Amino acid sequence: MPNFNIDSTKKNTFDAIVIGSGMSGGWAAKEFTEKGLKTLVLERGRNVTHIKDYPTTNLMPWEVKDANQVSYDVKKENPIAARCYNFKEDSQHFFTKDKEQPYIQEKPFDWIRGYQTGGKSLLWARQTQRLSDFDFEGPDRDGFAVDWPIRYKDLAPWYSYVEKFVGISGEYDGLETLPDGEFLKSMGLNATEQYFKEVVAKKYNNQRHVIYGRCAHITENKEIFMKQGRAMCQTRDLCRRGCPFGGYFSSNASTLPWAQKTGNLTMQHDAVVHSVIYDDEKEKATGVRVIDAKTKEMTEYYAPVIFVNASAFNSNMILLNSKSKRFPNGLGNDNGLLGKYIAFHNYRVSISAEYDGNLDKTTTGRRPTSGYVPRFRNIHKQETDFLRGYAAGFGASRQIIQDSEGLGEALKQNLVSPKYGNWRVGSHMMGETIPKEESTLSLDTEKTDQYGIPQLRINLDYDDNDEKMIADYVEQFTEMFEAAGFTNIKAHDIPDKAPGLDIHEMGGVRMGHDPKTSLLNKWNQLHACKNVYVTDGACMTSTSTQNPSLTYMALTARACDHAIKASKKGEA
Amino acid sequence: MKRRTAIRNLGLVTGGLFLLPSCNFSEERVPLVLSKLKITTEEEILLEAMIDTILPETDTPGGVSLKVQNFVWTMLDDCASPEQQASFLNGLRGFNASVKEKHGDNFVDMDKKERLATLQNLMDDETLNKDLSNFLHTTKHTAVWGYKNTEYYMTQLMPYKLIPGAFSYRTKTIDPNEKININA
Repeated sequence: MPNFNIDSTKKNTFDAIVIGSGMSGGWAAKEFTEKGLKTLVLERGRNVTHIKDYPTTNLMPWEVKDANQVSYDVKKENPIAARCYNFKEDSQHFFTKDKEQPYIQEKPFDWIRGYQTGGKSLLWARQTQRLSDFDFEGPDRDGFAVDWPIRYKDLAPWYSYVEKFVGISGEYDGLETLPDGEFLKSMGLNATEQYFKEVVAKKYNNQRHVIYGRCAHITENKEIFMKQGRAMCQTRDLCRRGCPFGGYFSSNASTLPWAQKTGNLTMQHDAVVHSVIYDDEKEKATGVRVIDAKTKEMTEYYAPVIFVNASAFNSNMILLNSKSKRFPNGLGNDNGLLGKYIAFHNYRVSISAEYDGNLDKTTTGRRPTSGYVPRFRNIHKQETDFLRGYAAGFGASRQIIQDSEGLGEALKQNLVSPKYGNWRVGSHMMGETIPKEESTLSLDTEKTDQYGIPQLRINLDYDDNDEKMIADYVEQFTEMFEAAGFTNIKAHDIPDKAPGLDIHEMGGVRMGHDPKTSLLNKWNQLHACKNVYVTDGACMTSTSTQNPSLTYMALTARACDHAIKASKKGEA
Repeated sequence: MKRRTAIRNLGLVTGGLFLLPSCNFSEERVPLVLSKLKITTEEEILLEAMIDTILPETDTPGGVSLKVQNFVWTMLDDCASPEQQASFLNGLRGFNASVKEKHGDNFVDMDKKERLATLQNLMDDETLNKDLSNFLHTTKHTAVWGYKNTEYYMTQLMPYKLIPGAFSYRTKTIDPNEKININA
């Protein structure tokens, strides 16, 4: 007589479990399956297969019913998601709707989520800048958070490893603040951006730089991309719809189909992870508890190694909810710091202006990236009354003015007689924020979601350092714009804009040397439960200014390599 | 050749026959299906007459043949708040009375010239009540938007490329004789 219990345990046992199929989970899936590990990827959302499930991708503008506006009803039902710049009629199906997962805002926070295969990798802004030692050494030098347990040299080979597979369009700028990577051809700065670059380099003796924003777009045909079934970026600039060419990197187009081809991948959708199972006797994690989003039934899955890649705040939630005799306050949380020291990127302010030079020039076509200004404040030493600094986006485009005055034939004539205006230039700030103990995530003791999981409480806000940084950004960019002869310079600070819309929330399960002051070691293993790894935004000790996805991917590949080597040695 | 001419003429004749009834028998119109707004055929005809005045048929298709009126209704139905919808409909329902009071005739009964002058007059009138003014300016604004979003405009007048191709983006020196394409 068969033992059903043993059979079902066997059926639900894998070599590795990865929670989440987004940017970092996709990489864990790829790395493990490639090395022969039978890997279960748990995705709480629905299945989105590359190309097949991009329903709007080939629509012409006039085929999008409401001219790409989000309807009144959808906006009303989703005030949070609808505040995201990328939430449009043609992309709204890739955003998690507000009612799916309520949370408590102790202070206003717009939590943008994408529960489906690939997660937010379908929706990201695709900027891929490496961190440097000026970032890794920041907390130690400036006395905040804790020291990163790694330095640039630890991650550099993994950045390269990831970049070669992802495909990064970039220019070799030779900057110590923003190390060069493995670059494909650049799509270029335009004439006015190039002009600004030269003005800034001259005015600040090459201490400030305007560069081409490195981005995850394929701009050269290479075998590695063909093997993934991805083609060159066709500069449609419709990335949010999902790309039928696989021109930009997403888990859907790249890592997940790659993992699938090995035959070692099991994808489980509608799989809401409740908690990680900790075995008090074995003194390690043995699996995860999963609630089926449709039937609400709970199933357990088992594996000797578990990667938590549920997105920064969800990874915190899962660990906080993973309570056992050994860890009554959440998995690995001996020091009570789990969920603390969260931070984000300050995107509150932008600046616009006009330029009346280069009037014989314009641009043609579309470009899915823009210029980038790496951090220039407090690089070698503390020089301002605030800590750290900011990077910035920068872009210029020629204005086309269309007169829509009049009625009848005169109006029709106006609508086919556009004229060139000045160049329009703009920049937005990407500020480093300081992770603080009072910036916290916690689980509510009463309210639960539809799966019975305690609701997340988010307590995060701007601080005095952020306000000073905003003022400095406006001052410095005004000076830079004035040096370039730009006019009509206007700063746009939106104090009501809550943190969160940067979609760069980080921390809560930070890396560090010491189990007393951090949750993860230098390999992204929980200090107190080494077969659990966290390699998404939750692991970040400090935020730097750079768009973080590339770093999550590099950390994930590095941690997978460590996990595989450790299991061969019989550790963990 | 003669045969072709004959066929072409036949086409013109039948085309004319097919077109003729739809012009005058308004009760045979298929009403526009909207999810929230309740509007009458007369209201549809009125908005259509306004669209025809704002963007008339000339040597290029006008707003009505490009169905811009449907765009205006759809946007109002899907994207406007209940307050904006109420204001728009209120404006629309007060429109004829204002036209009659100021110009002595129903808008739809006027000839094209009168319609244009009347609409221009009303739109320049700063003493209009808020709903009527909102109705007129929303209609114009949305009609222009809809027109620029039509397949015709985006393929024939200002061609848009869904797939520009790799490295479509570049700086170019302006040729003053070249027509500007806002969708290039």
